[in-house]
Amino acid sequence: MKKFLALLLAAVLSVSLLTGCGDENKGGTGGGNSSTTPNASGTESNDTNTGLDMSKTIKMGILVSDATSAEALAFRNYYTEYIQEHYNVELIYSDELTDAAGETSAIDTFITNNCQVIISFSSFDRAAQIQQCEDAGVYYAVATGTLTEEEYETYKTYEHYIGAIGPSLDVEFETGYNMAKHYLDQGKTNFAIFGGAIPYYTEMHIYRAAGMLTAMVEAGGEGANYKGATDKMSIIGQIFADGEVTTGEIGNINISGYVGGYDMDDAWFGKCAQMAQTPGLEVILAVGNGSDFFGTAAAGTDVLIASVDAYASSYGEAMEAGMLDYLAGKFSASIGPIFIASYRAALGSPIRTSEGNALALSQGYWIATSAEEFNTYYAVDSSVDSPAYTKELLDTLLTADYAAFEKFVSQYSFEEIQKMK
Amino acid sequence: MKKKNVKKYITTLTPLFGLLVLFAAFLILGKMRDINISYGLKSIFNQSVVVAVVATGAIFIYTLGSFDISLGASVAVSALIGGMVYNKTGSLAAMLFVCVGVAVLVGLFNSVLASVFNLPVFVTTIAMLSVLNALVLVLIKINGTGSEIAVPAAAVKALNTTTFKIIVLVIYLLLCIFIFSFTKIGRMQKFQCCNPICAKLSGISEKKMAVIAFAMSGIGVGLGAFLSIVYAPTLTRNTASSVGMNVIIAIVFGGMPVSGGARSKIYAAVIGAFSMTLLSQIMVMFNLNSGIGQMVKAAIFILVVFLATSDQRGKMLPR
Repeated sequence: MKKFLALLLAAVLSVSLLTGCGDENKGGTGGGNSSTTPNASGTESNDTNTGLDMSKTIKMGILVSDATSAEALAFRNYYTEYIQEHYNVELIYSDELTDAAGETSAIDTFITNNCQVIISFSSFDRAAQIQQCEDAGVYYAVATGTLTEEEYETYKTYEHYIGAIGPSLDVEFETGYNMAKHYLDQGKTNFAIFGGAIPYYTEMHIYRAAGMLTAMVEAGGEGANYKGATDKMSIIGQIFADGEVTTGEIGNINISGYVGGYDMDDAWFGKCAQMAQTPGLEVILAVGNGSDFFGTAAAGTDVLIASVDAYASSYGEAMEAGMLDYLAGKFSASIGPIFIASYRAALGSPIRTSEGNALALSQGYWIATSAEEFNTYYAVDSSVDSPAYTKELLDTLLTADYAAFEKFVSQYSFEEIQKMK
Repeated sequence: MKKKNVKKYITTLTPLFGLLVLFAAFLILGKMRDINISYGLKSIFNQSVVVAVVATGAIFIYTLGSFDISLGASVAVSALIGGMVYNKTGSLAAMLFVCVGVAVLVGLFNSVLASVFNLPVFVTTIAMLSVLNALVLVLIKINGTGSEIAVPAAAVKALNTTTFKIIVLVIYLLLCIFIFSFTKIGRMQKFQCCNPICAKLSGISEKKMAVIAFAMSGIGVGLGAFLSIVYAPTLTRNTASSVGMNVIIAIVFGGMPVSGGARSKIYAAVIGAFSMTLLSQIMVMFNLNSGIGQMVKAAIFILVVFLATSDQRGKMLPR
């Protein structure tokens, strides 16, 4: 009998536990007859300036394939600590997704929970995500990155595809190119490359590496080439074919070391340390986070490290300690405009190009080459009171036409954004 | 009914009660929060079916007191090779045949390795996990399409229906129930785990039991791989990466004793798989951040398993 009582109690406890958990949500989420209240900033029910009815809480599902990196945390912080506090929205995050099936399941779960918009940071199968949302009549937006031209041509007319704002592959290429050129212009000739996810054929990492190699080919003198390739597309093709960057000479530029992947085991860390201590090495160019993997091994040497990632405090510390010399970082508020585009779509005022197509806007990185520069950018980027894109700035997009929206997004440099404020 | 029998029935049925409670909670809370319940039920089925199929087959291995941690990787390899075959032949039948064939071969290889080297099955599956994970990368690379192997979504769209998945699950479940509960194979497997020496003296071949268990599991893995492609036809190096762990959780959640033996239940996997997904869906309704959600899920998981296994902590075998 005791067991039976225990079972009964367990069942009651389970249900009550689950029921009791719901009070954290603001605004009476999801309930068809729940009355949503204006949020902390006092969003008005019928905003007289915008003409949009913002009285109802809009549920948005956020797909994430990375929940722990500095970049992912910064993005999440901006959405949950700033956007959710200033707009009448409830943001529901997926678990960390690892494959296309996970994306499909997460979208199904969001649709079940009446999310009107899905903003995706996950890209295992973009096409399937867009199609699934279109079929279900739910708006879909790419938070960072852009679609390939072929994908865009296929989906640009979909009613529920809002679009994408983020670094295009061309921007990724330029980022790698500018990083390498920064050091080539200083007369550096001995490099090592950290290839990040190149072995997994992650396009943005391949394009960044291709940009680095292209800069080296251009600076390498007459006849310089990378395995016979001399132009952007052939270098990209070569990396795709190899699944890695090959060490060797590019004219008078030397690539003396390469590590790829994220094995994170002892052997892999050993290879990283060995590469960082290569005799004569001057610069490590990383397509992703470089200082975390090479900083300690390179400490005390003259080796400079350049990374691509986001503005996180750890990079500031690395710069102060001399373990990071150059950072091309995404700023967390860069995902503000796509939020506004999504919000507008949910409120019945979607923004489209002049031809009526979905957005495809490119945005780049903030480049810091000193600790002072980093600290200036980071102070703004990490602020939950006055981030790079504040509510006042974003509100200007609520009624903006496409041209104004595009112009706003294109002015992404730190200085340009400060000027807009 | 004797008090002892009541206790036995209650503990036996605890996982089922758990599933029903979760189902009721989903409906009640869903109604309160005005979610799309019909879509949600379809979604829950879609999210559970692969784990349910794979875990049902894995019960045969668990019944022997063994433990296979390479099931997720085996699903991935089977799906990738199946996808490649579809892209070459355009035949869904060939894809299904290859998915199942590859999975059964992997399973048999595991069992033969264990038999030949007389190693615990668990050890061979650890080695197999590494081999299969490496094979996933090799397959993706030799396919030459970059980071994925993709079957055209249009090709599998017609099969991506709840009806088709129910048919696959029910047919396979009935097959497993029949073999496990209505043939001597099931009884021999339970006996083999409970007392290997007695089993051997009774003429039961340990190797034969292992081969049958892995073959049955392989069929489940192959069907799971096929259903994975149908559900998400873009396959990457992480495809089915969570399946292996989910299978283990589903089996335990469903009331299957990890030690296998006489108390093994063939239906445990299905109960566990659906319970897990229901629990996840309920967590999402409350938009708990994933840390708190995971902790709540873990607490409920431990509670259900504690109740379901409360009659298994005695030293005596069931009689």
